Amino acid sequence: MTQFDLSRRHLLGMGLGGISAMAFGARGLHAQTTQVALQLSWLHSVQFAGSYIADERGFWADRGLSVRLDAGGPNAPVEPPVVSGTALVGISAADYTAAAVQQGAPFRIIGVAMQNNPFAIASLPANPVNEPKDLEGKRIGMPLANMPVLRTLCTLNGVDIERIEVIPTQYDAAPLVAGEVDCLLCWSTDLPVAMFVRGIESVTMLMADFGYTLHSQTYIATDDSLAGRRADLVALMAGEVQGWEAYRADLDAATDLTLARFPDAGLDRPTQIEQARRQVPLMFSDLTDANGFGWWTDDTVAQNIETLALLGMPVEAALWDRSILEEVHG
Amino acid sequence: MTLLAQPRWPGAVGRSLGSVALVLVLWHLMALSVAGSYMLAGPVAVGQYLAENHVLIGRALWVTVQNAGWGFLAGNLAAIVLALIVALVPQSRMLVSAVALVVFCLPLVATGPVLRVLYGPGPGPQITLAALSVYFTTFIPLLVGLRAAPGNWFDMIRLYGRGTWSAFVHVRIMAAMPYLMAGLQVAAPAAFLGAMVGEFTGAERGLGVLTLRAMRGLDVEATWAIALVAASVSMLAYGAIGLLADRISPARPEILLATGTTPPRGPLALRALRGLTLVLATGAVLVGLWWLAMEVFALSRFFAKRPDDIWRYLVTAANAEAHRATLWAASQATLVQVVPGYLAGLGFGAGLALLLALAPVLAGAVLPLAIALRSVPIVATAPLIVLALGRGPVGTITIVAVMTFFPALVACIHGLRQAPGQALDLMRLYATNPLARLWHAQLPAMLPAFFAAARLSVPAAILAVTVAEWLATGRGLGALMAMTASTSDYNLLWSAILVVACGSALGYGLVGLVERAVLARVAPEQLRR
Repeated sequence: MTQFDLSRRHLLGMGLGGISAMAFGARGLHAQTTQVALQLSWLHSVQFAGSYIADERGFWADRGLSVRLDAGGPNAPVEPPVVSGTALVGISAADYTAAAVQQGAPFRIIGVAMQNNPFAIASLPANPVNEPKDLEGKRIGMPLANMPVLRTLCTLNGVDIERIEVIPTQYDAAPLVAGEVDCLLCWSTDLPVAMFVRGIESVTMLMADFGYTLHSQTYIATDDSLAGRRADLVALMAGEVQGWEAYRADLDAATDLTLARFPDAGLDRPTQIEQARRQVPLMFSDLTDANGFGWWTDDTVAQNIETLALLGMPVEAALWDRSILEEVHG
Repeated sequence: MTLLAQPRWPGAVGRSLGSVALVLVLWHLMALSVAGSYMLAGPVAVGQYLAENHVLIGRALWVTVQNAGWGFLAGNLAAIVLALIVALVPQSRMLVSAVALVVFCLPLVATGPVLRVLYGPGPGPQITLAALSVYFTTFIPLLVGLRAAPGNWFDMIRLYGRGTWSAFVHVRIMAAMPYLMAGLQVAAPAAFLGAMVGEFTGAERGLGVLTLRAMRGLDVEATWAIALVAASVSMLAYGAIGLLADRISPARPEILLATGTTPPRGPLALRALRGLTLVLATGAVLVGLWWLAMEVFALSRFFAKRPDDIWRYLVTAANAEAHRATLWAASQATLVQVVPGYLAGLGFGAGLALLLALAPVLAGAVLPLAIALRSVPIVATAPLIVLALGRGPVGTITIVAVMTFFPALVACIHGLRQAPGQALDLMRLYATNPLARLWHAQLPAMLPAFFAAARLSVPAAILAVTVAEWLATGRGLGALMAMTASTSDYNLLWSAILVVACGSALGYGLVGLVERAVLARVAPEQLRR
């Protein structure tokens, strides 16, 4: 958090809302702000730039909300803080959420930031994977936690998984560049971007184009919060929607804000702007153009349920709760 | 460095500079040999990166150093308190050791979310994880040190008509100092590493955060620049503690005289029964503490499983048998790796210490490398090891050895210095060859420290194998535990932790039995408590 941000919150906390209202437009004058936290799914980066915009431009403050953005990390799963109430909302993914629900977590998906799943197969042009069938006979590098993802892709496309050699690697593009593996299972917005920025051309096959329909970067909240803290949830999601619309309108500004806000995170502009560009088609579609950011339809949920069943996670459509978004967009 | 060669100006400086140059050349050659693989950057590229990014790295370093420092303090203080409790109330030894062991066995996948929920954002988890990664390697040597006092010192105290308290203050604490110093030296790089890895639990800044970013961004110069910085800081801390140790420790260790009398003991069956009762009681207390800790902090049962959750999962649930089968298969896969990994780590550490005793000139080159290996996160070094040695047994055992050899090395170096000065003088007088000197004087003196290393390497090796499984092989308990991040299967995670803890306790106990048998022959005075 920046110093600026802290002092603003402090002022609001002391009831000097007028100053804040002058600075951020007097749309909502709230004497009190509610403090909540949003648990992000990874380290700070442009991946969450919409939230930074919402914070910096006062989209939450206008609604009487002060949102702490908690960074994630490899050993910082999103689900525990949301279950514990440390965070009001977490950024998860449909499969992670379904697994947690299977384990007894009382979660609902209240918004979908990534309509299209970002999982992709990245390969080098000399030995490309353009379609799932190309995977046969190749060595794929990936963290083993993603095995169900690969298995589902194979099932959906009639690929014999036995003919793929899985090499357990860290989430890192180096094994591909070093020739240890022929392709990687990764997000289209990170490892391929890293290679791109380093001048290494790569081929990216988006799994969503081959039937792997699964919402990602989903907003989750507990049943308790949905019952008792609706106003906060609506305010938080409204800020998110507004923030991400602003993000889409000006990727450069979103990137610059991210870089300025986290000078200690080791972010560089070329990587961040490229990532910002590549996640746009995942987050915005005809569906969101028609209905607003974060939206879903019964059809997309049905497709998600099918994919989840293949992943071994049977879920009900009730896992998705659109009532918050309906209030936001309504 | 400070341990083996007394720094003599300017020879020592020359040697140090020489070894730095050697390391740089080796590093450069290695980087050349894997050029284009994006796995290792050479000294030139790293230097360039540091020159351009020194402000960023400096800020991150300051964050991580502070967390490591607080963790170092807290962890070592805890170790000292625990060791003193055991020394003053010997009956508590098994319970205290067991608690210390079990807490040390908790893997980051489990502690990360728990600590983050307990502390919220901020440095709490990083500091705690730094403390957790140092206290055990100080506690165990200290425990040994408090016993490793020369018999004639006790006789002296008795002769002067002084009581147990005087013996404790004047003999045991003094005798324990070298062991404490060894523990602190091991702790320095461990605290730094612990703080860095602690940042994987959702920190906003620090060298660990930058490492993650660099590795995902193919920013190999940044990765190794951070590694170099981490290693340098650890070396400085190690060296500084070494200097302190030289000032505090008695210059010439005394002869540890055997008294030759072993305390009378009851019949075997009775002893076995008493032992069993103690083990069961300890187990019961541990389970109680486990439950209590989670209830006191009101941690959600979703991710902080209680003993009864695990009982249900493994025993009474409908598919408990399947759960047990999964766990059993994974445990077997892990066990196959643990024994060779343990022996490799311990052997590598002790072997290096012996080598340095025979050829102290090598210390300047070997110790910095050893510290570097210990202070760089394994996520950065593992890809290189895998590239060189593959994902087979050699690669994984090497990863385990790299992660575990350091405490054994340092403990044994300190242990070798415990050879009585008079005995060594006598041998030198008779021009005994260094090998014989090692065998007859230094090796027996090293044994208590060696066994301390052997004990603490048990949980360290098991944890290291689970990490190697996660990073390289994708089999065994490590792979199961890593899966929790995406499956939220915390029942399976805590069951795996239970297996790891029980396995560690068992191995620890076995090493203890071997230790008793060996010490009874070569150093019976140390069995007297």
